[in-house]
Amino acid sequence: MTRKSDIFTPEGYFEDLQKRLCAIPQQEAETKPSNIRRFTPYLAYAASLAVMVMLGTFILRKTAAPAVQEDPYWDYYAYLADGLDPDGYYEYTDAEELSEEDIMNYLLADNISLEQLAYYEEGY
Amino acid sequence: MSENEKIFNQIVRDYSERLWWHVRRFVNSHEDADDLLQEIFLKVWAALPSFRGESQLFTWVWRIATNETLNYLRKEKVRAALRFSSVDAEMERRIQADPYFNGTAVEKELAKAVLKLPEKQRQVFIMRWWDDLSYEEMASITGTSVGSLKASYHIAQEKIRSMISVDPF
Repeated sequence: MTRKSDIFTPEGYFEDLQKRLCAIPQQEAETKPSNIRRFTPYLAYAASLAVMVMLGTFILRKTAAPAVQEDPYWDYYAYLADGLDPDGYYEYTDAEELSEEDIMNYLLADNISLEQLAYYEEGY
Repeated sequence: MSENEKIFNQIVRDYSERLWWHVRRFVNSHEDADDLLQEIFLKVWAALPSFRGESQLFTWVWRIATNETLNYLRKEKVRAALRFSSVDAEMERRIQADPYFNGTAVEKELAKAVLKLPEKQRQVFIMRWWDDLSYEEMASITGTSVGSLKASYHIAQEKIRSMISVDPF
């Protein structure tokens, strides 16, 4: 069995192949990219990344839950807590004077039981 | 014409046909061998200015060709995996359907059996059996000792004998 007899090539194939290969230096000289063109793909990737980061930040800001400190009722809860806090940490200077009866009615409406009210009044 | 162009054209004249046959045995396709050879010579042209003559020109060019061919096969392996196929099955299909094959049934069996060899043994077998390189030339290309190459070739032959009905050697 001869070693190369099992595969053949078209007539004149290798002459044509050599011509094409010898044209490589000329082709490479003609298609050599400029410095700007060489960096264009990297600039495109960087621009895409910047757009994605900006878009992601915008979406996150729009969909994020507000912080607790932005709750408009925060000061009001502090005002209510003043009635339950014997040390008065949550003094609310702008509050109008309320009677004890008003406060109790309000707390009862808020489902605080009489027993709980009595408990707090005792100062526990 | 520059000095490098003259050297490049000489490399094309001296080695392109031998390298084409070498690549052809790995990729089992006339068209892929053609494409791959152009890639190889593009690399040769790009690397030519940095060739310092530490090795013979023949060894240097052949080493580029072998590395590019093995890279091509590794990429084919990945492409085949993405198609839920195997590169060996694809290569066997190419051998079976090759329009440029006009050998005997035993030669076709031999080509298929070579596919089943491990990469190193396949490389050694192709270089020795089909490319007709000496062990010394193969040693300078692969960086492996002559003794290891002889052992690899012998083992490859034994494996092929066990896979084919008729001894092709």
